[in-house]
Amino acid sequence: MMLSILLLIPFLGALLFLLLPSQLAPTRMRSIAIVVLVLQLLWSIRLLFAFDLELPGMQLQESFSWVERLGLRYELGIDGLSLPLVLLNAALTLVAAVCTRELSERPRLYFALILLISFAVNGAFVANNLLFFLIFYELELIPLWLLILIWGGTQRVYAATKFLLFTAISGVLILAAFLGLAFINGSVDFSLSPLVTERIGMGSQLILLGCLLVGFGIKIPLVPFHSWLPDAHTQASTPVSVLLAGVLLKLGTYGLLRFGLGMFPDAWAVLAPAMAIWAAISVLYGSLAAIAQRDMKRMVAFSSVGHMGYVLLAAAAATPVALMGAVFQMVSHGLISALLFLLVGVVYRKTGTRDLEVLRGLLNPELGLPFTGTLMILGVMASAGLPGMAGFISEFLVFRGSIQIYPLATLLSMVGSGLTAVYFLLLINRAFFGRLAITPVEDPEIQKRLDVQLAPVAPRETIPALALAIAVIALGLIPAGLGGISDAATGAMAQLFSGAG
Amino acid sequence: MPIIPSELVSFAEVPSALDLKAKLLANQTLLAESETHVIEVVDVLKSYGEVLDAYSKNLIYQAESQFLVPFPLFKYLNGDKSLAKIWRHLCHDRINFEYAEYCMKAMLWHGTGGMDAYFDSDAFIENIAAIIEVKRRDPLLGLLHPLFPQFLPELIRTAATTHALGQFWRVMSDLFIDLADAEADKRVCSISDVVDFMKAGLVAAAGNPISYGVVIDNKHFWVLPPEAGLTFLADVAVPYVEAVFLRGTPFLGTVSFNAQAQQISPDQAQFCYGALYADPLPTMGAGIPPSLLMQDMYRHLPKRLDLLYQNRTRGEGDVRVKICRSFQKSMFCVTNAAIAGTFPHGLAGTTADQLAADEAYAHAWAQRLSQGRTDCLAV
Repeated sequence: MMLSILLLIPFLGALLFLLLPSQLAPTRMRSIAIVVLVLQLLWSIRLLFAFDLELPGMQLQESFSWVERLGLRYELGIDGLSLPLVLLNAALTLVAAVCTRELSERPRLYFALILLISFAVNGAFVANNLLFFLIFYELELIPLWLLILIWGGTQRVYAATKFLLFTAISGVLILAAFLGLAFINGSVDFSLSPLVTERIGMGSQLILLGCLLVGFGIKIPLVPFHSWLPDAHTQASTPVSVLLAGVLLKLGTYGLLRFGLGMFPDAWAVLAPAMAIWAAISVLYGSLAAIAQRDMKRMVAFSSVGHMGYVLLAAAAATPVALMGAVFQMVSHGLISALLFLLVGVVYRKTGTRDLEVLRGLLNPELGLPFTGTLMILGVMASAGLPGMAGFISEFLVFRGSIQIYPLATLLSMVGSGLTAVYFLLLINRAFFGRLAITPVEDPEIQKRLDVQLAPVAPRETIPALALAIAVIALGLIPAGLGGISDAATGAMAQLFSGAG
Repeated sequence: MPIIPSELVSFAEVPSALDLKAKLLANQTLLAESETHVIEVVDVLKSYGEVLDAYSKNLIYQAESQFLVPFPLFKYLNGDKSLAKIWRHLCHDRINFEYAEYCMKAMLWHGTGGMDAYFDSDAFIENIAAIIEVKRRDPLLGLLHPLFPQFLPELIRTAATTHALGQFWRVMSDLFIDLADAEADKRVCSISDVVDFMKAGLVAAAGNPISYGVVIDNKHFWVLPPEAGLTFLADVAVPYVEAVFLRGTPFLGTVSFNAQAQQISPDQAQFCYGALYADPLPTMGAGIPPSLLMQDMYRHLPKRLDLLYQNRTRGEGDVRVKICRSFQKSMFCVTNAAIAGTFPHGLAGTTADQLAADEAYAHAWAQRLSQGRTDCLAV
């Protein structure tokens, strides 16, 4: 029942919010949400202790009959692929709740939706049945759509609608693949096993895998299905961006590995070379597009597009090291992008803008945002893959695991990794170096006399970012912990693929 | 793109050169009259006076007791080499005497006034030749002098400038402390009173002789003998204002300039990086923000000014920037007093030539000051 309890905590928390009196102060509601999410985090850590690191398959399984005629079973399980993501979800949802501030509009609904997203994401990660996964996958759509639509920026309707359309198409494609599988098999077996696909011809497998690739490719997102992400990030509030980049994108990569590689290893072997090139294109496009941005949030969003391409590259190579790298990349990207979005949020809250043509000298030790700037430098260093931080371990594993299989794609992706340093140094140089100024002035005489009054950043505002920064360094210095969790699962998955190959 | 809230950015009014000239000729203060300005100027000068007292003592100690010491490791300890003092020094529980040295170097390098002229005179060369002859008994100096004949003379010029600046700051320190006492006794109640008080102090000390001698092996040697006729105002105060207020020594940790990118004029006289021009806003985290002097003044900040700062902008968070801004205002007052005290005809001319001379003098100063950070004058 451990996994059911994991699902129940945020679900009951969300229900609790619907029962709370609407007059309750937003800060009180935030405190209640934090308590629920701390419980969820503690329970996720409890799972870690119950988890056997040596076993490659699903553990802590629960299985009950639900709607047998539709092949829908209440089947839960967790392995080395999903456990790190469950922990990431618990940590980042807590961070999102902690960094929610100045919420005056419908706080009850807001926190209920945050908890509902956490519930749905947990459900998707621990679902051990195709349809069950799809239910959770679709379930997180509506709360996120509402979070952007109600608490977003001025262009929120456009961004939310675009997000809904793209991800709904993603869901439809995944559903089509799952139903197609049942149709071709002539049974309603939606269990999560490669045996289900064994009897299917290669042509059908390729079509079904193609549907999954595009479906999850939209969610990840991969070029050219990425255009919803920068808009969604730009319009979403900081906590929602944290969730979106940190957790929700991982549903796509997780789905790709679990259902694409895990269920169609033969077809995967056929499509893998194309996927590696696709990954390299995605990495390069994301990085080059990031260089061209002047909105800090859009730059970080495009960096996500680039960095998620590494996961596809690793998945295409499907060697044990590469798949380990994929898990590391998912976790480290979750932490780093959440950190960067948090810090961009602080900058926006204090200056009223994220425009890189406007911001200058925020690292000013007395009147700027020096600690925020320091954490930002740390975050971009981690994102650029500097040793000693999470980004380095994940990129190293991905490249090390992929270079022998797809040297060209890996080298191109490495160029993308170098470009990360380019655009993030541009960001740091423009926004944080130089004399403090937040207005575009051409006249240097006026520029040097500008007097900028920014409110100081209270220590409590940077606690979530500080926690994430510590996690980024800890993962970089002690990667063995995460490696130990996912080693058996990624090894088994690689073996499955090599057997097919 | 989001819109920047207008309250976050402000741009203070900058008076024109004509405005400044008119004020100088009308004997009005450059700094606007206000109660807050009086508190800022008087209190920041009080803390500056206390810091100058320490700077002055150390500069005189260095010039007299560390004269031509090859490795002056303990030059900031004023002769106290106790473990407690060294420990406090290493923990940076001390005055930043380095700032005083930067000012001295600025004076030496920009080299204006009678003292600089005397440094190139035959009398000076003769005086220091005797000193070098004695000092060559030191093996290291004995080796260095034949190899680099200009090395020891330059060190002696440095020591002389150090001592002269120590003497200058001795007077200024007392003047600024007296100003605070006068304000406490209600003898000084406005910015105009502040400028008048300083003008009177400078004029009173104008003729003070500046001399410097060292004792080597129980024998006294003159470096700046009384016969050189160097005086306080013309030979030290004015060169100091020229070097530190106008030309050089921007506050450390603020905006920097790239000489290779032609951001700095090759003509020293065109330099405008001094205290009246320097940006009080530190840039990034390099160095000790915003400057060593502000740190030192912060240690001696009067309660009243501290309270004023606590209620402004970021309170304690940006206190050194606020000290720097107040310091800049006070330096404009000092400059104002110096200009008022050095008008060719004291604004009391009666003939057309005399009036024209005063006007030309005011015009020249207004031109120079108008490029400075005069935006602080009205706020």
